[in-house]
Amino acid sequence: MFDEKDVILDARHITRRFPASKGRELTACNDVNLKFYKGKTLGLVGESGCGKSTFMRFLVSLDKPNEGEILYRGVDITKLKGEKLRQNRQNIQMVFQDPATSFNPKMKIRDVICEPLLNFGRIKKSEKSAKARELLEMVELPGEFEDRFMHNMSGGQRQRVGIARALALEPEIIVMDEATSALDVSVQKTIIELITKLQREKGITIGFICHDLGLIQSFAHQVAVMYLGNIVEVMPGEDIGEQCRHPYSQALLASVFDIKMDFTKKIESIESEIPSPLDMPPGCPFSNRCDHCMEKCRQERPLLKEIGPGHEVACWLYE
Amino acid sequence: MAMLEVNDITISYGTRPTVKNFSMSLEEGKICSLVGESGSGKTTVIRAIFGLLPGAGKVTEGDIIFAGDHLLNYSKKEWRKIRGTEMSMIFQDSGAMMNPTKKVGAAYTEYIRTHENISKKEAVKKGIMMLERMRLPSGDNVMQSYPFQLSGGMRQRVGIAMGMTYQPKLLLADEPTSALDVTTQAQIVRQMMELKENYGTAIILVTHNLGVAAYMSDHIIVMRNGVIEDQGDRDHILYHSENAYTHKLLEAVPSIGGTRYV
Ligand SMILES: Nc1ncnc2c1ncn2[C@@H]1O[C@H](COP(=O)(O)OP(=O)(O)OP(=O)(O)O)[C@@H](O)[C@H]1O
Ligand SMILES: Nc1ncnc2c1ncn2[C@@H]1O[C@H](COP(=O)(O)OP(=O)(O)O)[C@@H](O)[C@H]1O
Ligand code: SF4
Ligand SMILES: [Mg+2]
Ligand SMILES: [Mg+2]
Repeated sequence: MFDEKDVILDARHITRRFPASKGRELTACNDVNLKFYKGKTLGLVGESGCGKSTFMRFLVSLDKPNEGEILYRGVDITKLKGEKLRQNRQNIQMVFQDPATSFNPKMKIRDVICEPLLNFGRIKKSEKSAKARELLEMVELPGEFEDRFMHNMSGGQRQRVGIARALALEPEIIVMDEATSALDVSVQKTIIELITKLQREKGITIGFICHDLGLIQSFAHQVAVMYLGNIVEVMPGEDIGEQCRHPYSQALLASVFDIKMDFTKKIESIESEIPSPLDMPPGCPFSNRCDHCMEKCRQERPLLKEIGPGHEVACWLYE
Repeated sequence: MAMLEVNDITISYGTRPTVKNFSMSLEEGKICSLVGESGSGKTTVIRAIFGLLPGAGKVTEGDIIFAGDHLLNYSKKEWRKIRGTEMSMIFQDSGAMMNPTKKVGAAYTEYIRTHENISKKEAVKKGIMMLERMRLPSGDNVMQSYPFQLSGGMRQRVGIAMGMTYQPKLLLADEPTSALDVTTQAQIVRQMMELKENYGTAIILVTHNLGVAAYMSDHIIVMRNGVIEDQGDRDHILYHSENAYTHKLLEAVPSIGGTRYV
């Protein structure tokens, strides 16, 4: 299903450390290797704070890793500077987790949406209003919203403005960081249908961070599970249900709320404390919370290993 | 009389009403969820109850009665006395509500010390304890961080910890778990249920996760376009409702093993 020659973005050995209080160091991404394929969606799931956004921000050059490279059409984008960097922004766009904090509050919606188009000379000033209306309607918002400000809109409306802005440039790769979490499920469905349609028509590649496993499984070709800065499982999208193998992925599934669930059942959630990325346990990052933890798990870190077509797991159980 | 009575309120930000003829009542220890269309006025309703409508927002008709008091007549001083202690709110996006130039610890200890006469040191200790109860690892490091250094989900847990510090009688939670992974969501859901069971806290929960709403709620209100479109208990909403919009929502819920678009 995944052909090496369709790799459009190749992240290799990405590590990012942040300085923390008391001279300590926090590892937000630890030797992450992920491939994005042309016209396919990669879903990234994992505990909040595990490093998902940190990783995706490298793709749009908002931050640089301490180690590793990200190849886009053969060029390491983590090293881009100046005009090359600016031009590259057209190709890879990101929709942010909280759009309210990422835009100038004095800008009207029309300006927020059309800013990148104007920056790259794709439209004229006089075309702004018509373009903004068209894009707003595409995400099911009334065209009149072009005159509003971000702070006068509901959470879900703001999220859709962020999506419209990113889609405006028709980028080759689009990264959506929890971009539909504040939408009602019916609007969310419309947005997913819209982006999968664009994907079919224009072959765009999507990176999608999301906590809703049901949603991810509905349209991701590939799903990566991250835990404490490490990728612990990568699998084909349809496998996220019964086929997932890593004990952490299985724990995620056990805590999903669904309208078809048994409402009398006790909620499952991992009871033990999440270790801090400040003191990463030696060995397997999940070892202190894993029901299957063995002696070896505490000493040696398991690496990703192929266990089926397009399916890799980092766990000593599958050795 | 119920602990909270919202009687036929209309709310507007300008000339046109945003929410029309909204009523609900809530007893001690009960949970009510508001679900429905994005932009339908869910946040507006709970902000009105909390007396914190932004901008030109105003309740133009109706009445809100909490523990026998008419909230719409409250003075600033009266509000200060109950906010955070009797009634707390957890916002949709706690990150955006935090002062970006202040460390989390400074904001949190200040919050604690406006509600309680304790030393700075004790306040810090209490803050760390609450953060760790919300499963934030290294509470001390979180206290030392600026909001931008925390992930969205971590900021949300800080907001939840603050809202729960004084075990309020009424907790208003606006999409408290939308930014959280499923295991943390499950923990927060459990913590809210414990608050209800152990302290009789009543909760109004806004959520887009119908599974969470169904699991937690005694009553579910479906909103659309500023009005209540449908309401009832879980059984009614999930299995017996004949409302077309409720059906549309239920059909759009993505389930594991459900429809795939690709
Ligand atoms: N400060 C404001 N000034 C003017 N209009 C506003 C303001 N805040 C919200 N609105 C409008 O009021 C309506 C209701 O907004 P509200 O935030 O209550 O929606 P919501 O149901 O919480 O939606 P969501 O699920 O997307 O968060 C929306 O149409 C929104 O655009
Ligand atoms: N600018 C920063 N400075 C210091 N620490 C950061 C910074 N950005 C993120 N972190 C830390 O890195 C970890 C991963 O964060 P993030 O990638 O935002 O997580 P998420 O998976 O929820 O998107 C967290 O522990 C967070 O506190
Ligand atoms: S390597 Fe060991 S501790 Fe880690 S997930 Fe597998 S069984 Fe659990
Ligand atoms: Mg994030
Ligand atoms: Mg809202």
